[in-house]
Amino acid sequence: MLEMPLRHAATVLLESAIRIAPPDTREWGQAMCGELSYVDGPWAALMWAFGGASVMAKHALLSLLIPGRRAGMPPGDELFAKNVSLRKTALVAGAGCILVALLFFGAPPFRQAFRVALRPWYFVFQITSGDIQPRFEALAKRAEVQHDPVGLAFCAVRLRNSRESARLVEEAVRLDPNLLWVYAVVGMRHADLPQISQWVARLERWDPQNALFRLIEAESIEQAQALPSAGSDSTEEKERAWRSAMDAAFQSPKFDDYLDRVEELNRKVVPRYRFYDPYEVQSREELDLPPFAFENSKRFAQSLLHSGEALEARGDRNNARSTYWTVARFGQLIDSQGRTALEHWAGTTLQAMAYRQLQTSSEKGGNQAEAALFSYLAAKFDPISGEHASLSGESAFGPNTSRRNGAVVEISGLMILIFSGFVVVAISILIAGSRRGARPAAERTRPVATMVVLTCAVGLLFSCVTLYLTYRPYWYIFQSAILNGNRVQTRDLQEFLSSTQMLPGVPHHVYVLLDALLYSGSPSFLFYVWAGVTLLGVIGLVLILLRHFLGRPRANRLQHHPRLP
Amino acid sequence: MNTPRMSPETLRVLQSFLERATDWRYGYELSRETKLKSGTLYPILMRLEKYKLLEARWVATQDGVPPRHTYRLTPNGLELAKTQLTEARQRSMVQQPAFCNGWE
Repeated sequence: MLEMPLRHAATVLLESAIRIAPPDTREWGQAMCGELSYVDGPWAALMWAFGGASVMAKHALLSLLIPGRRAGMPPGDELFAKNVSLRKTALVAGAGCILVALLFFGAPPFRQAFRVALRPWYFVFQITSGDIQPRFEALAKRAEVQHDPVGLAFCAVRLRNSRESARLVEEAVRLDPNLLWVYAVVGMRHADLPQISQWVARLERWDPQNALFRLIEAESIEQAQALPSAGSDSTEEKERAWRSAMDAAFQSPKFDDYLDRVEELNRKVVPRYRFYDPYEVQSREELDLPPFAFENSKRFAQSLLHSGEALEARGDRNNARSTYWTVARFGQLIDSQGRTALEHWAGTTLQAMAYRQLQTSSEKGGNQAEAALFSYLAAKFDPISGEHASLSGESAFGPNTSRRNGAVVEISGLMILIFSGFVVVAISILIAGSRRGARPAAERTRPVATMVVLTCAVGLLFSCVTLYLTYRPYWYIFQSAILNGNRVQTRDLQEFLSSTQMLPGVPHHVYVLLDALLYSGSPSFLFYVWAGVTLLGVIGLVLILLRHFLGRPRANRLQHHPRLP
Repeated sequence: MNTPRMSPETLRVLQSFLERATDWRYGYELSRETKLKSGTLYPILMRLEKYKLLEARWVATQDGVPPRHTYRLTPNGLELAKTQLTEARQRSMVQQPAFCNGWE
């Protein structure tokens, strides 16, 4: 019953395979097709057709991969073999592409782009603790040898190792007392340092109105409170000290995070030490700003608003509103004088909280016009839906373009590595095959190796061009920010740099997991996994190469076997 | 003379041809004799033909049935087949345990 459909299917399968086969093998396909009618049984016919179709498909694939393949030529001599000049031309073209690709590495934008492109792998292959920053440590040593206070300050601001950072900033301020402000920047990042109280005291004498020092002091108290050694008595005392510091911060008329001074420092140090690393220079100055100051501000603001509600409940409406306005004013201060996205976000959040409370107070007081105004302001400063919800800074490209460019740069960098690997392997095969007395297998692979060199060299050049052209605008933004202090489009650069921290297509939670693994005291876990995978890959490759070049003993070579007569 | 790789399957095909050296053989017939599937047999036939060790021709059939391809070893193919099969037999003898008889 199934005989006719199965035989028909077998014929259709084989005829379809013949259609995709190269012309020189179609006759063989027709030969297999001709036998179909004589195969016993429909299933056997179908299996016959499958076998024939696989032969046709294999030849179709080979003709795609090796366009010069011809049936009449003996294998191994197929491509380029009869035409030595063609092979030479291919090799010269390949060498030219490789040379041009190498020339790209002479261009500073390209070198920077290549480093950026390999950045996502940093998380995967990182084998040392996240606190170790070898480039900064080397730079700090140079600055120490040269007694360069700005170089030391530059490193102190960015080092994750708090003790080393504190040592460098002490040395920088000793060499140049005008760098006192660096205490504040380092203090923001490492509020757990024991020197914080001394630093804050010196900073307050130098810039008495800045709220930043009070925020640092409050965080320092908060962290000391969280220590297991803190007793219950000292906890209450520290809570009072924390409230006092936060109260002073909320009363301060000024907020300065000194990022303009950090940028000035960048402009001096980066060209001097040729430290053109956009991740370390551009993104870290903002990304490393801890949110603690703003968490503290939010907590203190909430307690102020609650105390205002209590005052209002007791009928003291004027003092209650004054308390609400304290929160709103501090929010305005942070929003207007802060420079980072986090600071603007914190400022608008505090304002929205205060205006919402003022709206409720006005509604209770029966002043509907005032309530409507505060309602409008609360909505305007809402951190999620308000006008200020988006990150500050100019963004000409937009986050989607930055993400797309980030993916293009990452893929281009990866392709450069892959093509380079293929080129090296193919050139090694060519060299092995060109030696006198080379094994026939090595000689046979030379045409294929020539083709691999040519195609991979073209791919390498294409990847280099793509990487260079995609990254070039960001290089200009970075140069402009470093050399001229022009912050136009730095938001684009930061979005781009953030997007290149992750591999395209890898979900964010995978990176969160990797981050947790790397910073949880077991940084060697991933290293061992990757080392194992790489080692297995290398062993596999060596075995394949050995099998290929040493080869199995062949029947037609046994005539030279010494054991045979 | 260039020769194709002499795999055991190739030797089986050559052996089959040698059994009726002058006859023209069909693909399916060879497949049944050598127990090779079409996906193995035809690449061997193609390789032998490429090295001019095999000749092929089309044979007309009755109406409605496609013509059939038939094969026969060329003189060179016959010579090579004989040599290779002799060597293969010698090799199989060499690979016998050296002291086999002594232990019996």
